[in-house]
Amino acid sequence: MGMMVAADASEPRMGLMRRLLGLAWQYRWGCLRIMGIQIVLLTLGLSGLGLMGLGIDFIKFQMQEEVAVGAMAPKPPHWPFGFEPPAEMAPMQVLYIIAGGILVFALIRAGLNYCYSIWLAKLVQGQIVVDLRQKVYRKMQRLSFNFFDSNVSSSIINRVTGDVQNVRMFVDSVLVQSLILVLSLMIYFVYMMNIHPWLTIACLVTTPLLWTTTRRFSKTVQPAYRRNRELFDDMVLALSENFQGAHVVKGFCLEDEEAVKYERANTAIAEHKMWIIRKVSFFSPLIAFLTHINLFVLLAYGGFLVIRYEQAPDAMTAAVVGLSVGQLLVFSGLLQQFSGQVANISNIANMMQQSLIGAQRVFEVLDAPVAIATPPNAVRLVKARGELTLEQVSFGYTENDRVLRRIDLEVSAGECIAVVGATGSGKSTLMSLISRFYDPDEGRIVLDGHDLRRLDLEDLRRNIGLVFQENFLFSTSVLANIAFGHPDATREQVENAARVASAHDFIMELPDGYDTILHENGGNLSGGQRQRLAIARAILLEPAILLLDDPTAAVDPQTEDDILQAMEQAMVGRTTFMVAHRMSTLRRADRIVVLDHGRIVQIGSHEELVRTPGHYQRIAQLQMAGHGGYGAAAGGGA
Amino acid sequence: MKSSPKMLTQVKQDEKEAAQKPLSFGLIRRLLGYMVPYAGRRNMLIGIVVVRAIQLPLLAWAIGAVIGGPVSRLDGMGVMLGAIGYLALAAFTQVTLCFRLRFAQELGENVIRDIRGFMFSHLQKLPMAYFQRVGTGRLISRFTSDAEAVRSGVQDLLFVSIVGGGQIIVAAAFMAYYDVVLFLVVAGMTPVLWGMNRLVHGRLSRAYRTMQESFSRVTATLAESVSGIRVTQGFVREDVNAGLFHDLVRDHARYNIDAARISGVFLPMLEFNSQLFISLVLMIGGWRVFNGFADVQALYQFVLMSAIFFGPIQWLGTQYNMALTAMAGAERVFRLLDTKPEWSDPPDAHHADQIVGRVVFDKVDFGYLPGTLVLREISFVAEPGQTVALVGHTGSGKSSIINLIAKFYLPTHGRLSIDGIDILNLETHSLRSRIGIVLQQNFLFTGTVMDNIRTGRPGATDAEVIAAAERLGCRDSIETLPAGFATVVGERGAGISVGQRQLICFARAMLADPRILILDEATSAVDTLTEARLQQAMDRLLSGRTSFVVAHRLSTILHAEQVLVLEDGRIIERGTHAELVEHGRVYANLYEQFIQSTSA
Repeated sequence: MGMMVAADASEPRMGLMRRLLGLAWQYRWGCLRIMGIQIVLLTLGLSGLGLMGLGIDFIKFQMQEEVAVGAMAPKPPHWPFGFEPPAEMAPMQVLYIIAGGILVFALIRAGLNYCYSIWLAKLVQGQIVVDLRQKVYRKMQRLSFNFFDSNVSSSIINRVTGDVQNVRMFVDSVLVQSLILVLSLMIYFVYMMNIHPWLTIACLVTTPLLWTTTRRFSKTVQPAYRRNRELFDDMVLALSENFQGAHVVKGFCLEDEEAVKYERANTAIAEHKMWIIRKVSFFSPLIAFLTHINLFVLLAYGGFLVIRYEQAPDAMTAAVVGLSVGQLLVFSGLLQQFSGQVANISNIANMMQQSLIGAQRVFEVLDAPVAIATPPNAVRLVKARGELTLEQVSFGYTENDRVLRRIDLEVSAGECIAVVGATGSGKSTLMSLISRFYDPDEGRIVLDGHDLRRLDLEDLRRNIGLVFQENFLFSTSVLANIAFGHPDATREQVENAARVASAHDFIMELPDGYDTILHENGGNLSGGQRQRLAIARAILLEPAILLLDDPTAAVDPQTEDDILQAMEQAMVGRTTFMVAHRMSTLRRADRIVVLDHGRIVQIGSHEELVRTPGHYQRIAQLQMAGHGGYGAAAGGGA
Repeated sequence: MKSSPKMLTQVKQDEKEAAQKPLSFGLIRRLLGYMVPYAGRRNMLIGIVVVRAIQLPLLAWAIGAVIGGPVSRLDGMGVMLGAIGYLALAAFTQVTLCFRLRFAQELGENVIRDIRGFMFSHLQKLPMAYFQRVGTGRLISRFTSDAEAVRSGVQDLLFVSIVGGGQIIVAAAFMAYYDVVLFLVVAGMTPVLWGMNRLVHGRLSRAYRTMQESFSRVTATLAESVSGIRVTQGFVREDVNAGLFHDLVRDHARYNIDAARISGVFLPMLEFNSQLFISLVLMIGGWRVFNGFADVQALYQFVLMSAIFFGPIQWLGTQYNMALTAMAGAERVFRLLDTKPEWSDPPDAHHADQIVGRVVFDKVDFGYLPGTLVLREISFVAEPGQTVALVGHTGSGKSSIINLIAKFYLPTHGRLSIDGIDILNLETHSLRSRIGIVLQQNFLFTGTVMDNIRTGRPGATDAEVIAAAERLGCRDSIETLPAGFATVVGERGAGISVGQRQLICFARAMLADPRILILDEATSAVDTLTEARLQQAMDRLLSGRTSFVVAHRLSTILHAEQVLVLEDGRIIERGTHAELVEHGRVYANLYEQFIQSTSA
């Protein structure tokens, strides 16, 4: 089967194949069962076909006996396994038996076919796909953020949906199908050889031609289809940009330019498609014609054999030199099925390619190392005090690009630290290290005397409340969203957390209060409301440490004050790190850390820093000159 | 039905679009109308298709005729000639197949390209409100799935049905010619087969729909799991989520197996049917042959003709379903094409090329939906060159004022005029070419920075684009991008910072050099230094133009000649910053708090 795979990169492909075979081995009994059924189905089908031939021959024989034409003796049909009906049996009765046999076989076949499709679905959709999806999802949930940073979300989603389907295809459509194919081709071949070897060979001479033509066809057309898909994606992109940017298009009167741009994309697809159409409409009749050649051979050579059969002096010689009419009809049926199976080979080859690509992408997830995990013999820390020390911490997302350099910082329990700095100075990264989304490359972070890497990961994260710039909310109830980190929380606990986060009042005003179902990513809430829910979610954990990564950044300044108020209440009694820009917020911190290009350049209270020449003073002056947020205060009014 | 499992997310049932619609003569006629430009090809196709409906039964007949004729007569020469005749007929059939495939698909492709083009140009004429109401996802599906459904209607349905129907009739004629009685017995099976076919199809498409729904729950949950991964890990929810997801996947598998149960009946049934046919032919045919009512040859023909006769019954069922889907697609496509713009310029509309930029609102009321006003009695005058700052909470009506000036919407009551001409009577296109717009989203197209700025004035040279950036004072900051002005941005482009995006949008407006500028200031996701930079660029952009700014920054407000404070769609205060502070009301209150929070 190796010939079906392109030769390039055969080494990793072999590895992939081995792994996929291993996967199939896990489901060997299920696979064997469906293969077994297929073989039985095949034999039953052939028997039915044989009976049909027998019936025709029998009728013919009866007719010839009655007419008894000239020298040529009528030839009795070949009774299978020598079951000749007793001579006294009426011809109609024999026919009833034959026809009844066909029906019985057909009934058994129908039943088995039904079982086959259900067993297949149960094996494939009920077992393999469920297992794989669960495995990939479970793994994906634990992967470090590096993975999510470097893959777009649609590609990650595809791995759990489409790619998993492609992987299972290897088991049921590639492996099992090709075994069935080989077996059935063998059975057909033996059956046909049994009827007449030379006729079989003569009829099958075109088979290699059929196989190569099909291969060439799919090799020509496959890449073209892929290209067409890309052109199509380009067109959809042009569409979606036009719709999403409708205000720009209309505002700058770009309708005509856009129409030209779209027309280009649209025509490109059509023109490319015309090429494919020409290829397809050439190849598929050609392939079909090859099977017609087989039938032509059958008619000419087979017809000649039938004549020889009829002209033979007795049944014995007839069977050696010729072929009965019934057998000829059987043969034509067999030939059509045989050609169908051969054409199927190229389908299997294509599916194999697809399943290998899918497998690569699925195994990539399954093999990705979980960089951040609880160490063996981890230190348990159910309730932290909240003393944090950063010792010479350096970190970069890639090897040559340091985002944080030698950060030293000691924070006592309950202290509030504000972090300021330009975009890219490393503020958010610092926050990510504290909740151990990444580990420092050098140095260490110590919580209550323990290196973070020694702590039980779940304990650590349960001790930390997180609020991000943009907080993802799930499309479930408000209650479930707040209780996200603590699903067993009572309604009372949830309401208390919401009160602290000044969220209770607006929640009560929602149509179903706490049971209101949020739209996708909290679409039915305002920015300020979303952030306050996020704060409630964080404090429900009663965390010793609170990380606030600029929660007011992405909201309308007019609602900022509500959030600040919630933040302030949430901070009480917790070690707090917050990223902020505005003086009004910064002034509330015990100490302010100023980051620049990953280093701490200044540290101290607002009062100290404002008086010292440096980064902070400049920021303060700029804001006071009015470049800063009017919005910082605007929310309080009206 | 088991109850569906507790879910990680609850997928809200979007108002669903019908997947199928009954056949409608009007829709079909209109669809056929799109083939008119390709009438030559269409007519040839119809001819070819009729030929094929005869060819296919003829091929099967030829085999039977050779076996029943020369072979039975033991005529060796005749067998040879018959076989050659068969091959010639087969070759001819394949040649017609080639053209049948080609013409049909080319016709489909052409028609679909035309329809897509019409839809797109039509959409460009529709107002903003339409885009907002329908939504990007749905609009795209008009061009993708709906258009594909229509294509299948055009290229396959009609022609495949002719071939199928013709094939059945010709095969029936052959069989009837050989033995009418036997044929009638066999034909009696047809309605039963067709009925079973429809029954299974109906149940199957329902099963597929529920399966599809459960799958969309799976993907929606997945999408949220990916977007919310930080929250999940931060709140240690991995195991809970994995458990819920497992339930969901198992649930989906169950629907999948249910569908297999239904489709699993179908194939065996068809197969059984053809076996039943054979045994009937043997029994009844055999009896008739024995009794001299029929000839053995007839039996050969019946056996060979069975595939030709029953095959189409099988796939015509699928075709029928496709036709219903095509109807639903066509209906939506045509609905889009038939949507009338809610308003269009009067024929004697004034050109706005020479406007100076004096904007007057006179008791303007406005609502997006009938019955709910978002602006009430708005009246103010913006003199040419003035900057008007709009201040107020989210939902107070700032963006609606901007939307009216850009003529994205029309006032419900009252009069909005520019240079004394009612905006209704200003030619929209020329008006917009004198208005520059920068909105909060800072929308960029996929393409280079150069191209994105150039959208401000298509046809501008590279030098003009760079000059515009220069005038804004942001040329250097664009040149620090990975590939400078040639950096690719947008959905498929490199990530650039919020500040840089905004500068590019400023440059776009600068290049357009409008008389009236509309600016929805971005909220403050940038650090203080970047902000200062944007502020400077903005000042340059605003100077000398009538400008309307949804203001979030004090400096913008300080520079404005006029500040309008909005609340619940009304102007509650107006004046310059200094005047408003002196009034000592709402605005002064805001300002007071701001001063307190920034002074150490």
